[in-house]
Amino acid sequence: MPDDKKTLLELYRKMVAVRQFETMAGEHFAAGEIPGFIHLSIGQEASSVGVCSCLRKDDYVVTTHRGHGHMIAKGADLKRMTAELFGKRDGYCKGKGGSMHIADFSIGFLGANGVVAGGLPIITGAGLSIKLRKTDQVALAFFGDGACNRGPVHEAMNMAAIWKLPVIFVVENNQYASTTPMEYSCAIGDLCTRAAGYGMPGEKVDGNDVLAVRKAAATAVERARAGEGPTLLENATYRMKGHFEGDPQKYRKTEEVESWGEKDPVERFARVLTKKKILTKKLAASILKEVHSELDEALAFAQDSPFPAPEDAMNDLYSTMEGGSHA
Amino acid sequence: MPDRILSSSAALAEALHEEMERDETIFIVGEDLVAHAGIFGQFKGIPEKFPGRIIDTPISETCIAGCGLGAAMTGMRPLVDFHFSDFVTCGMDELCNQAAKIRYMFGGQVKLPMVVWCPDGAGLRAAAQHSQSLESWFVHMPGLKVVIPSEPADVKGLIKAAIRDDDPVMFFQHKKLFAKEGPVPEEEYVIPLGQAAVKREGKDVSLLCYGSGYYLCVEAAEKLAGDGIEAEVVDLRTLKPLDMDTVAVSIQKTHRAVVVHEACRTGGFGSELAARIQDELFDELDAPVKRVGAKDFPIPFSPPMEDFVLPNVSDVLKAVHAVTYR
Amino acid sequence: MPTEIKIPKLGLTMTEAILVEWSVGAGKAIAVDQIVCVIETDKVSLEVQSPAEGFMHPVAEAGSRVAVGEVIGYVAEDEAALAELQAREPAAASATGKAAAPATAPEPPEKAPEPPPSPAVKPDRRPGERIVATPAARKRSRELGVDLAEVAGSGPGGRIVLADVATAAEAAEDERYEGMYDFGSVAPESEMLTVEETVPIRGIRKIISRNMKLSLSSQAQLTLHTEASARGMRETRALFNTRLEEGQVPVPYNAILVKAAAAALRQHPRLNAVVDGRDIKIWKEIHIGMAMDFGRGLIVPKIRNADAKSIRVIADELGDLVERAQNQKLVPDELQGGTFTITNLGSWDIDGFTPINNFPESAILGVGRIVDKPWVREGAVVAEPRMALSLTFDHRIIDGALGARFLKTLKDRIEDTRLML
Repeated sequence: MPDDKKTLLELYRKMVAVRQFETMAGEHFAAGEIPGFIHLSIGQEASSVGVCSCLRKDDYVVTTHRGHGHMIAKGADLKRMTAELFGKRDGYCKGKGGSMHIADFSIGFLGANGVVAGGLPIITGAGLSIKLRKTDQVALAFFGDGACNRGPVHEAMNMAAIWKLPVIFVVENNQYASTTPMEYSCAIGDLCTRAAGYGMPGEKVDGNDVLAVRKAAATAVERARAGEGPTLLENATYRMKGHFEGDPQKYRKTEEVESWGEKDPVERFARVLTKKKILTKKLAASILKEVHSELDEALAFAQDSPFPAPEDAMNDLYSTMEGGSHA
Repeated sequence: MPDRILSSSAALAEALHEEMERDETIFIVGEDLVAHAGIFGQFKGIPEKFPGRIIDTPISETCIAGCGLGAAMTGMRPLVDFHFSDFVTCGMDELCNQAAKIRYMFGGQVKLPMVVWCPDGAGLRAAAQHSQSLESWFVHMPGLKVVIPSEPADVKGLIKAAIRDDDPVMFFQHKKLFAKEGPVPEEEYVIPLGQAAVKREGKDVSLLCYGSGYYLCVEAAEKLAGDGIEAEVVDLRTLKPLDMDTVAVSIQKTHRAVVVHEACRTGGFGSELAARIQDELFDELDAPVKRVGAKDFPIPFSPPMEDFVLPNVSDVLKAVHAVTYR
Repeated sequence: MPTEIKIPKLGLTMTEAILVEWSVGAGKAIAVDQIVCVIETDKVSLEVQSPAEGFMHPVAEAGSRVAVGEVIGYVAEDEAALAELQAREPAAASATGKAAAPATAPEPPEKAPEPPPSPAVKPDRRPGERIVATPAARKRSRELGVDLAEVAGSGPGGRIVLADVATAAEAAEDERYEGMYDFGSVAPESEMLTVEETVPIRGIRKIISRNMKLSLSSQAQLTLHTEASARGMRETRALFNTRLEEGQVPVPYNAILVKAAAAALRQHPRLNAVVDGRDIKIWKEIHIGMAMDFGRGLIVPKIRNADAKSIRVIADELGDLVERAQNQKLVPDELQGGTFTITNLGSWDIDGFTPINNFPESAILGVGRIVDKPWVREGAVVAEPRMALSLTFDHRIIDGALGARFLKTLKDRIEDTRLML
């Protein structure tokens, strides 16, 4: 994997973009402009950006309810993403999906999923499709430590393994499944060791170190493209915000949250780049300004976009018949 | 050209041969398919003719459904074999939360050309977990289409339409009808989804049915003719989309309707159809709409009990006499 | 499997018919499409053809009422099947098949058919009691103007069903025209007179006799006579018929007469009207009936919106109607809802006559033969084709002068058909 200055700065820029997007989303959610509920990935930017930096545009990705970062990292348009979060007509899904059900098939982003572990059988299917079509794409699923205890994960990993499908399973272990700590719900310490049960390699990396993530992901993607089958990656990270915006977070101590603050992946990578003399304070400020201006544009786009008409609810259900059987 | 006589299994296999020949994105995935060409022999000849395009899976219904889904989202046209329709419960999230909703919640970005093939129905002394008729669950799920053929010619024409359809289609075929034979046209044909067939004309009562219920109605209609009651047998064939126009034309003629299906009555498709008939055709009705279906019990094993729970021809006759007042 | 012989539905409104007679006796061999029986509705008499080849097994009795779709008999594929059918259900006693019956066998005197089932008894309801009726029965009662309170229900718990409304409506119809059907027994009982044949008045004959009686007893009919030159009409007809395209039927005089009458009616709409209660209702549409008789009673199929159709189109439609009338293939709907009638007796050498209005229409045109008469034209006596025209109209609503003006308008158009362009 190239790690020239330009590439590293692009990784940094993407991480900043994810962080700032999430921050912006949190603010506008609090302001009541974003309906429903949203799940932010602040603190997990190294995982989303590091992994997606190894993928091509035509590779497939599925993600979870906490998927903004993955989608941005895969190359989604911030304007249409923001508009979707706002429930507007120009959103990716014309306002039908929202934060939890957002997709961009033009960049291989097969969707966030509101069902925990819902994306894994789908990604195995996408892997099978790649194999049947004999292309060199790969299919990658992001999921959380909570998903690991659901049955579909087992079936999806086993099937991907027996058929040696070009699939990468990336578990972002952010320590909590909603309010339940990982230690409570798993009898083993490292989720990556489950890979052994499927006969596939498993690796745990520091999920807050974008370069470590990128390195492990690159190996897994290479393996998949070479037809050697799936890999399970465990990115150990931390959800710095609540499960959802407004989560009172009674299940964890402030000290714990603060201690992870010191490992903040964005600041950490900034320090690395500064040390390498790639990033200066001035450059960091200019990147931030650039990201803010993109986000301002996205925000204006979302705010200006009209709400869908009520009866737009009757479009897009079937591709070959109008609406339900009696609309 | 005269029609040939084929079994439902043979009609299905023939359709799949023709479709797989025509479109190489079609493949079949499910449990125990290759060794015996499907546990009912329904894929006869396909493992030999299309190796690699009929794929055995582990016993993983969740992921089998997911496999179909992921493949359909990425350019393939899968037929997912569910082994026994009873096992759809193990794939409900994939079918109902994912397949039914993905196109819609993603704003129409993607097509999902997937057929979920489910052998269903009772009568084989297979008891509660291998005998159910679950079609109405899926009719209740916007985003899915539901097809239930009865005769071999319908099987062939409808599976072709289902495969060519760009939306997820639940395709139920009654296990007991696999061996049932009937005429199948020689030439190429497709039966569009959403077209019911009036298979016997009559003026006294409309028997609205599908799947195995169709055969109950045919037998009942024969018997009724002997009593001077002319029953019209409408084979719905597709429950979603539903051909309400054909139902309406029939009821406008007969003014009486009996819905017949093997699924248990409460919450069955008959309930929905009866509701729509009273809503849309109220002024045409000369009697209440009757439903004939299984009693509200799991299917028991022992033959006398299974037969007791399932609907039969005399249930249909009783309902017809009640609505014709004679 | 024996093939069923069923009563065909011949139009939207037909629900039943009377099985007049069986043409083929029970047990006789029969070919596909051979006439098996004759049925009659209010409007039309029809022959039913055999759907299959085999042996006849009629089950419905002649003279009985039969519903649309009802099985009235079977065609057995062979004698064994016939025997099986006979064992299951005896053949209709009335199916002697007059045509096929051996001449030597003395026929029992034909009995008058059973009267129709007696109307449902009047309902027995307490005052204020809710009337239980099916939605379809309620809808039909609104359409037919039947008061459900007057209808007895035959369904469970006295529920009024569709059939009850139909029975009640028929009873009401009979009541409304009471005296129009029953003429009382007036045949003198005399030893000098013996009845050769009794023909029941039913079906078409019943309707004709009722309408004729209604027509003459309820209207004030007046007939005016005139004569027109048929030269222009003859030339126009020749113009069409010398240029016929492949498959086209020749244009008959009647097509030109229909067109001329329609044009005249457009000009004098009062003749295109009906007396309805205390109102004169003038119709928007002009539907001209053409009286026809092929030996099975008078029938009057309609040319709809005749004013809007060309002579060529009218000729095609008339050709079709005549052909189907001869083959008894007209359906009742084609015989209803006229606004004016033409009756042409020219082929029987009739000149002027006094046609009777086709009740409840208000005018009818009688057309006589075309005959060459000496005529003075431009000072010389020439042979001129002349045709008698007789217009009967209801003098209650059409004054004599208006009737005369109409006839003049009509005559002008017949004599110079270019006026219809």
